Amino acid sequence: MTWLIWRQHRTEVCVLGLLVGMFGIALLVLGTQAHDLFPGGPARCAGEAGINEDCAASFRRLDEEYGYIENLLAGFYLVPVVIGAFLGAPLLARELEDGTWQLAWTQAVPRMRWLAAKLAALAGVTVTLTALFTAVLTWFRQPFDAWEGRFQYDAFDVEGLVPVAYALFAFGVATAAGAILRRSLPAFGVAFGAFLAARMSVALLARPAYATPLTTMEPVPVGGSKDQAGHRPAPSFADWMIEHGYADATGRRLSGTEYYELEGAANRAGTNLNQFLHARGIQQFEVYHPADRFWTFQLIEAALFVAVAAVLIGVVVWRVRRRMI
Amino acid sequence: MTATEFALRTDGVGKRYRRGWALRDCTLALPAGGVIALVGPNGAGKTTLLRLVVGLLAPSTGTVEVLGHDVTASTPQTLSRVGFLAQDHPLYKRFTVAEMLRFGRACNLRFDQGLAERRLAKLDIPLDRRAGTLSGGQQAQVALALALAKRPDLLVLDEPVASLDPLARHEFLQVLMGAVAEGGVTVLFSSHVVHELERVCDHLVVLNHGRVTLTGDIDTLLAEHRLLVGPRTATDLDRAGTVVEAVHSDRHTTLLVRDGAIPAAPGWQAQPVALEDLVLAYLRRPSEPSAAVTSGVAA
Repeated sequence: MTWLIWRQHRTEVCVLGLLVGMFGIALLVLGTQAHDLFPGGPARCAGEAGINEDCAASFRRLDEEYGYIENLLAGFYLVPVVIGAFLGAPLLARELEDGTWQLAWTQAVPRMRWLAAKLAALAGVTVTLTALFTAVLTWFRQPFDAWEGRFQYDAFDVEGLVPVAYALFAFGVATAAGAILRRSLPAFGVAFGAFLAARMSVALLARPAYATPLTTMEPVPVGGSKDQAGHRPAPSFADWMIEHGYADATGRRLSGTEYYELEGAANRAGTNLNQFLHARGIQQFEVYHPADRFWTFQLIEAALFVAVAAVLIGVVVWRVRRRMI
Repeated sequence: MTATEFALRTDGVGKRYRRGWALRDCTLALPAGGVIALVGPNGAGKTTLLRLVVGLLAPSTGTVEVLGHDVTASTPQTLSRVGFLAQDHPLYKRFTVAEMLRFGRACNLRFDQGLAERRLAKLDIPLDRRAGTLSGGQQAQVALALALAKRPDLLVLDEPVASLDPLARHEFLQVLMGAVAEGGVTVLFSSHVVHELERVCDHLVVLNHGRVTLTGDIDTLLAEHRLLVGPRTATDLDRAGTVVEAVHSDRHTTLLVRDGAIPAAPGWQAQPVALEDLVLAYLRRPSEPSAAVTSGVAA
């Protein structure tokens, strides 16, 4: 079986391995240079951008010289779906479209053993390749994370555990779609669509609700301009801001129109906006997830996608076992 | 007769797909040894029946027993005793012929590599060519060599020659019959072509509209059936229920009768019937649930 699986899937494995290797080495080379900007390690400069002179300089150079790569990295959130779907789609679909399932399952290897070996081998390759790539990417992003935190979409979604879970999810969708549609290419398309839809809805709707966010509420400070009002003591740069705005003295949140009415009134009165708001007991509130929830959120999201992948693989196993294909 | 003397036994087997029943109420007992032909028009359920026999499909009703074992168990031992050649003889197109043989070796308990290589060498099929670049006839031969290298006790072939040109068809049947002559293997194959069957087959199963309409040893079936030709008559001649088909021309009536019924009246002549005419007569009969005719299983 080992030889057969390798012979049948070596093209996909080699192409993916080559791509992961190329991008991985490029990131390692560039990442080494970016890390060299921080003699004490990027973690030491976390949150020091506005305070420590050296750190500020390092972050400025990082932005100037490597900022463009960070923007490109966002594209790498497709890496898990490419790996998972590319390996999963042909697993059953290619046998079904070429008719070779009739050849494969009439040899002396029972179909369930055949399926188990294929699923284990290809899911293993999916996990290995994605984990390798994610490890490099997570390391590469360290300086950027020290600057921006790890909860932004371009960090959380490509670091840690979740990319591997996304890849397994894509693998499961592609395999199940291949078993049902009996064609590789449509199965790949379905996996891609399902990946984008599931990832987007989970990131936007489900992820903020993994835990109850914290809320801070404090009066608008008298002094300083409106910009400096953005200096918040409680949530730091690395926290995940869900929502922020103004509330009245009782804590009732103000709508946009209400705030603009106050702003207009302040302008008409010719007074400083902050003083105007302070005088009326207006408060600032912030709803956020603290940065130390990163790994909890990673675990929850990874478990979610792995569970869906397991269900999909279960459907495939059930169909093959019941000889529905 | 013990169970293992049957190559194949089915009991009330039916298979329903989402669009309806492909096979209904199929009860067969086919003896081991010799060549069994499964005949029927396209869409009669031949492929479904063969896939049930090799365990690729599970029956919706009934049981399928191959060489004395329930096929749905699918143990390596039972799988290795049955060789299967699917319609259009699928191969891994990107594999070389040598890699196809390695596939056979890797996936079977017993695999006679030497036998397969000798067969392919005799047919001048190079081992280093990719399977997808071979001609249709050569691909069929590679698939057959793979199936025979398992040294199966039962070899099942689904329309093995339907897609081949006459020359390749002839060569294929020659190799197949050579393997049968070497002994030990029971061959079950499907075909929608009836002629030539008489020469190569011992046993016949006629399938129509998902039901078995005729099954039996070919010699016995031919001995049991007679064509009766006499003056045209419109009266009901099927008093004994032995008339399979009545054909009326301007002046004559031709009856196909079973059970060797003798001419009913003076002026009637009895003639032997050709296998093809016999099969066609049964295929033309309207399908009824209880129409299956069984003959000579234990003969």
